[in-house]
Amino acid sequence: MSTGKINSKIILTAGFVVPIILVFISLFIGRYPLAASQLLAILKAAITGDHTGFSLMEQTLVWQIRMPRILMALLVGAALAVSGGALQGVFRNPLVDSGMLGVSAGAGFGACLSIILFNSMVLNYVFAFVFGLIAVGLSYSVGKIYKAAPTIMLVLGGVIISSIFSALISFAKYIADPYQELSEITFWLMGSLARANYRDLLVASIPIVIGMAGIMLVRWRINVLSLGETEARSMGVNTALYRGIIITCTALATAGSVCISGTIGWIGLVIPHIGRMLVGNDNRKLIPLCITMGGSFLLIVDDIARSITGSEIPLGILTALIGGPIYIIILKNKRGVGDW
Amino acid sequence: MPIIDVRNLSFVYPNKNKILNDISFTLKKGEMLCVLGPNGCGKTTMIQCILGMNKVEKGEIFIEGENISDISMTEMAKKISYIPQKQKHTFDYTVLEIVLMGRTAHISMFDSPRKMDIEISMDCLKKVGMEKFMNRNFNSLSGGESQLVKFARALAQEADLMIFDEPTSHLDFYHELSIIKHMTKLIKESKISIVMATHFPNHAFFFESQGIPTNVAIMDKGIFGAYGSACETLNEKNMEHIFRMKTKVYDNLENDRLLRYMIPLDFK
Repeated sequence: MSTGKINSKIILTAGFVVPIILVFISLFIGRYPLAASQLLAILKAAITGDHTGFSLMEQTLVWQIRMPRILMALLVGAALAVSGGALQGVFRNPLVDSGMLGVSAGAGFGACLSIILFNSMVLNYVFAFVFGLIAVGLSYSVGKIYKAAPTIMLVLGGVIISSIFSALISFAKYIADPYQELSEITFWLMGSLARANYRDLLVASIPIVIGMAGIMLVRWRINVLSLGETEARSMGVNTALYRGIIITCTALATAGSVCISGTIGWIGLVIPHIGRMLVGNDNRKLIPLCITMGGSFLLIVDDIARSITGSEIPLGILTALIGGPIYIIILKNKRGVGDW
Repeated sequence: MPIIDVRNLSFVYPNKNKILNDISFTLKKGEMLCVLGPNGCGKTTMIQCILGMNKVEKGEIFIEGENISDISMTEMAKKISYIPQKQKHTFDYTVLEIVLMGRTAHISMFDSPRKMDIEISMDCLKKVGMEKFMNRNFNSLSGGESQLVKFARALAQEADLMIFDEPTSHLDFYHELSIIKHMTKLIKESKISIVMATHFPNHAFFFESQGIPTNVAIMDKGIFGAYGSACETLNEKNMEHIFRMKTKVYDNLENDRLLRYMIPLDFK
């Protein structure tokens, strides 16, 4: 199996190069056509200050409209995929995704509440973020009720809290003004990066980067945790502590993403799976790969979302429509590899 | 100083009957303790108490002179390694990755294994003859092979005390021998100590015939019904008394070495 080692090196290198290429390609995509020479001149101008060969409008288009959106897609995709991968390891369950502990439902309800009560963009972010964290906190407390089976109780806690917040979202939709608020709520829940700007990006990147960095640091311990409570502890891993660290990090990263992009499903479930098929379950390789693959995948999906039709298609719809068939194809090709 | 010193250990699960009642034993360097007893007698509970996973309520456990309630989880893992019963993992890892996990206690909080850890892990795989399997997937191994890999992982932990929970259950005859041969070699060469829960009295006789100081504890309903050296403890009387079965113990001289074994005859 020495080829497996070479393969994983190639894959990890590709994981680094592909996002950079995708960023360049994505800068071309959009309603307004841009020539390669113009784009290069615009990018070069940022370093040399030589403003020839393009108009001010084109410069604004690249730096103020397309670039922040591209960066946001990379960041959000990476955060969702990494959180999903890390939580799968902690819960020893390949069907867990980044929204497992109620983050998505909680953030969704926070946004609904804010849309109905205040209708201010900034407060939408704040409410989504705070309620996302509250939901995880509640799931975690439910998980503590019965200490003998901590992981199963946490999953159960997540399911309970998610459905409570889902019910609250339905209630919010029911009482919302159908002409304004309801459409905004629906749009938010389906996910979009259309409002991307540097300020949002900067604010959201704080929890996202902290969360992702934390997961990167403890990724070796995720391997050990995934063997189960008794074995992990016998090897010197303080399971309660590391579970707490990982849940906090994934909650920060996911809540940070959901509050600026809305709920985008599927990435946190499927990207880690594809990663597992490519480099195996060792989180030392899997976690970095989730970062680059998650980012790349959401960037491609967002490129399609903003270019395929006249009006934008919500991301949550596209991630499933595109990701589903891709996943089936990969499953089919990798048949026989067996265990996750 | 004994490696492990258990004094008057008692343990009760919440809302349940007493599981362990006033258990005491000590084990020195290079010694073996075989714990026998019917299913549900408290063997696994006792192991979990020693590993620090069940909080000891009454009595004390000392590892190398230190009370385990004063030892951190990481320090415990450097003193005691544990080989659980065979099981598959949700997520599959390669054999080398599994053995590397044994190094975790030696790796600082935010770090990953380094080159030295890989070298130590490879050495441990060689010691159990599994180095050729290093890139195989763990879940694809046979019962005996995977038990040897867990053995290597415990070696990588570099602990002085190893605890086995029924290491040969579900193994074929060949691999059963392979595991207990490796245990023998390890005790003799590295002077570590082993506590082993087992269902087979002949394991204890095997270790004793290899010249290893072997203690046997026969557990029954949470107490040590009999405790002492293998030849003293594993006799027809104790088996009838504790296991409620008739047995016969035979002695054979083979190349000037005493071979002792026990065969079951009937219920009492």
